[in-house]
Amino acid sequence: MASAPTSKYNSHSLENESIKRGTFFILIDKEVIYICPFNGPIKGRVYITNYRLYLRSLETDSALILDVPLGVISRIEKMGGATSRGENSYGLDITCKVRDSVLSYEGHSRRDMFEILTRYAFPLAHSLPIFAFLNEEKFNVDGWMVYNPVEEYRRQGLPNHHWRITFINKCYELCDTYPALLVVPYRASDDDLRRVATFRSRNRIPVLSWIHPENKTVIVRCSQPLVGMSGKRNKDDEKYLDVIRETNRQISKLTIYDARPNVNAVANKATGGGYESDDAYHNAELFFLDIHNIHVMRESLKKVKDIVYPNVEESHWLSSLESTHWLEHIKLVLTGAIQVADKVSSGKSSVLVHCSDGWDRTAQLTSLAMLMLDSYYRSIEGFEILVQKEWISFGHKFASRIGHGDKNHADADRSPIFLQFIDCVWQMSKQFPTAFEFNERFLITILDHLYSCRFGTFLYNCESVREKQKVTERTVSLWSLINSNKDKFKNPFYTKEINRVLYPVASMRHLELWVNYYIRWNPRIKQQQPNPVEQRYVELLALRDEYIQRLEELQLASSAKLSDPSPSPSSPSQMMPHVHTHF
Amino acid sequence: MDEIEVSLTGSGRGPRSEVLAVGGGNSCETVRSLLPRGLLNSCPAGVASCPASSCPFRSPRWPRLTLQESVLLLGPRPTPSAMEFSELIRTGRAQAKLLRGPEVPPLHGTLCVTGHHLLLLPGPQATSDLWLLLLRSVDSIEKRVSGDSGTITLRCKDLRVLQLDIEGVEATRDIARSIEALSSLESVITSFPFFYRPKGLRLGDAWHFHPPERYYKRVARETNAWRLSEVNEDFSLCPSYPRAVIVPRAVDDDALARCARFRQGGRFPVLSYHHAPSGTVLLRSSQPLTGPQKRHCAEDEELLWAVLAGARPGARGFILDTRSAQAAKQARVTGGGTEARAAYPGWKRLHRPLERGRPLQESFVRLVEACGYLEQSTDCWRSRLEACHWLGHVKEALSTACLAAQAMEREGACVLVHGAEGTDSTLLVTSLAQLILDPSSRTVAGFQELVEREWIQAGHPFQLRCAHSAFSHARPKHEAPTFLLFLDCVWQLGRQFPLSLEFGEGLLLALFEHAYASPFGTFLCSSEKERCLCEVRTRTHSLWSGLNQPKEQRKLRNPLYVPSPLAIWPSVEPQSLRLWQGLFLRWTRPNLQR
Repeated sequence: MASAPTSKYNSHSLENESIKRGTFFILIDKEVIYICPFNGPIKGRVYITNYRLYLRSLETDSALILDVPLGVISRIEKMGGATSRGENSYGLDITCKVRDSVLSYEGHSRRDMFEILTRYAFPLAHSLPIFAFLNEEKFNVDGWMVYNPVEEYRRQGLPNHHWRITFINKCYELCDTYPALLVVPYRASDDDLRRVATFRSRNRIPVLSWIHPENKTVIVRCSQPLVGMSGKRNKDDEKYLDVIRETNRQISKLTIYDARPNVNAVANKATGGGYESDDAYHNAELFFLDIHNIHVMRESLKKVKDIVYPNVEESHWLSSLESTHWLEHIKLVLTGAIQVADKVSSGKSSVLVHCSDGWDRTAQLTSLAMLMLDSYYRSIEGFEILVQKEWISFGHKFASRIGHGDKNHADADRSPIFLQFIDCVWQMSKQFPTAFEFNERFLITILDHLYSCRFGTFLYNCESVREKQKVTERTVSLWSLINSNKDKFKNPFYTKEINRVLYPVASMRHLELWVNYYIRWNPRIKQQQPNPVEQRYVELLALRDEYIQRLEELQLASSAKLSDPSPSPSSPSQMMPHVHTHF
Repeated sequence: MDEIEVSLTGSGRGPRSEVLAVGGGNSCETVRSLLPRGLLNSCPAGVASCPASSCPFRSPRWPRLTLQESVLLLGPRPTPSAMEFSELIRTGRAQAKLLRGPEVPPLHGTLCVTGHHLLLLPGPQATSDLWLLLLRSVDSIEKRVSGDSGTITLRCKDLRVLQLDIEGVEATRDIARSIEALSSLESVITSFPFFYRPKGLRLGDAWHFHPPERYYKRVARETNAWRLSEVNEDFSLCPSYPRAVIVPRAVDDDALARCARFRQGGRFPVLSYHHAPSGTVLLRSSQPLTGPQKRHCAEDEELLWAVLAGARPGARGFILDTRSAQAAKQARVTGGGTEARAAYPGWKRLHRPLERGRPLQESFVRLVEACGYLEQSTDCWRSRLEACHWLGHVKEALSTACLAAQAMEREGACVLVHGAEGTDSTLLVTSLAQLILDPSSRTVAGFQELVEREWIQAGHPFQLRCAHSAFSHARPKHEAPTFLLFLDCVWQLGRQFPLSLEFGEGLLLALFEHAYASPFGTFLCSSEKERCLCEVRTRTHSLWSGLNQPKEQRKLRNPLYVPSPLAIWPSVEPQSLRLWQGLFLRWTRPNLQR
């Protein structure tokens, strides 16, 4: 194993710090030719640690060309054979989950690099731990403390006389993909819940996600009912939905949003699933939201990748972008969430949301609707709680959808559902530039670490497995990184507005491709580093804090003045310079 | 014998066109005799040579004016008094309901038509204020009657669509006719800016903000190779240039006069921008009149030679022709052409075709049409947007400007930009190149100066180009959204460099609105000569004084602005360019603040 002086790595404080403590070790250090998709072959030196691969140019100012956490790699292949001719035809082809890169080198044996990369990029296949379990980074904030379900439900005013907190799933025996703590109707007994579970796919029974602080209508999430070809019915499920409906006395119907297209819902009957029929559920109205499944989304994003990499399709950019349908899917997801939010807020009706299993499209809809309805989730900490609650604890299958440490790159379970959610959030933040406490960098950082395997936050499919693997004890949370350096992620234009419902415009005309994320590797698009806009944001935030502090001081001074019976000769108006800001 | 088309609109009998055959004469009396009796109270020839001794316009400072100019300027109608406006107003008032889009509540009240405005006086209980629309901003009008009421749809030049539901069929017809007549008055000196007297502003203010002399002072501090020439004092050399222009010191006024005869419309090469860091210059002109015989002009060649001699030692030059090589060659047939290589040593010609005129106007019309469609799930918004090709024009304009800027900054070369007339795409390129290179043009004051110097005083024919916007049913004659394209390119720069422009989108939107219809005089007329003749500077208010009031300024500034001395090189990749939603979807965008 080659070793190089650590000083070479000084661009990365994380690595630097941790190398001292022995977290990282250098695996490879050799010269290669990097076939840059934008600028052609570049001679460089590749360093591979157990966390990251990077490549420094040997030609231009030893610039860092590649810096990829191994977790991002989806596929490593040998290209060419010992007999292949021509320049740069023999080497390794490394494909990433979010971008492609081709690494090629001549002359030497590539075997050691291939083996080491495969071992550390796909540790699961080699019975090695995922990097997050080796990471010994220390932060002054513990991100695992951010989400406490009891506190979050208490913030929402729960339990109340209609809704109770149940520990029936404490050991995950009611539903192994649900969290331990659930909120259910007060009038439903634990036995009722068990009977309902038999009629819902994977036992994912309807439970409360969010309650409106004023009109007390709720968003409830679940999986599809097990209706099947024969059109089975279940009295307990019907009764349970009626109990949910009755917690809201303003509207006589419960609204059910099935996220799927109508045809898909019907087709699901063949595999035992289905949807709530009118005759079985008299007091419910069912709407289909036409959002496609994980396979459609995966293929759509693949098309986006194809038109931006390695070269951006120039002559027909807009129509090629249209033909990927990615923004159309974004539109449908947003439209669905708007309907949910509007029904709860203006329609004063409780809403039940499900798709097939209730862990992909359902999570998108409930979390986006909650983001529209509840300004708390638009703060940095609130958003972390939203992700932690609606996605991580409710069993969005991060491990299967992302494939952490797994070499099976063609796995049909992989799909960019969470990325699509973050894209929707970005679209909202574009339309409401003052409504979110966080900035674009916050969203990109979350996505970077969705793949990186540096933190334990997104590992595994559900809470029960995470508990078994002691993730919170053995890994660091992404929120530790973010919360210990919040200023970097703040939006200087944020204006806190309580109770404002955001209805974004889900129209093709107002949705945009997130160029700063999807095309950020293209040097023609690449922003300056360090980004001057981010620096300006920091300046503005500091300025705002300064003004707020000055204002407080002045208020304090003037209130002290007022309580002082003998006013000093200088009148208060002279003491109070006009405080004004540029905003 | 010249032929000119005079359109007699708004005379109450509906639009009517007449072609007048005009002989060589150019005096007051000739014009008077050609126009219907009584239609002319001011002297259109307005010239020192006017034989009529009683001519009120007689003054040594008055420029000569061609007949065509005089008709365009003053319109075929006489200088109207209040009497004559009232002739066009068919009805005083009517009860109406105004709809201003899906999210704004309708307004009920009494509708009035005045000489320049449409007013809606809300009923006594209403809380809202008086609603006012400048008639000049109406681009097209459509009326429908059914039963005993009617509907008038007004499509405005700022792309707004308004609907008026009016009680009474006759009232609807009369109001529609009045609006039609009054909104299409062509005369400059009867337009609203000549009557607009806002509180807090003084006439004549701000008109002297941006004289060419001021820019020359800056150039003179940087180099002494240039001088300010007043050879065009009486606009006789070039009717579309201002009185003073900046030219090479080595070239005297007589030589300039001969250069002017060799360039279309007399637009000989003048300094547009001096880039001090590289010691190079940006020039603009019109095409040379080489014609089929491939004529030469020694003075023109010397002028360009003097430019290179006055720049940094060893500087080369690029002639950036905004037409294709093919089109430039073809122009010879009609007397134009392009610089012969052998005649201009040190200068290399490049062709970067930019769309202009009718194709550009059509692209604009198609884009506005696409933006106006109601959205359906099946509509292919992005393909449709692509088919309009508007963003393609943005890309071409920006990349040509980048090319000019690059030649100056990176290669230390001087650049001369021209197309045919040199009043459209030429100005687009020179003004954008300055924004890229010159940090001072990115401030609020600097940008206003740029617009004034490179568009208004440089003779962009606003009166012709912005006569109609995207909704007019009339076939475009001279209309073209070149200035709007410039504003769109500036918006793209601002989006790509959020810290670099001192002004925000608000200023660009304001300039768009005022270029098409305005209570201010800044964008009136097509050249300094015409503005001088109409006494625009003394009889109207300047937009700049309106915009530079503190309360307006606050709305126009970019809070993120940080001055930076660097050039800003925009990305012209298609994925870096966006539709300017703030303009094109301004009125159809749902209100997010509900």
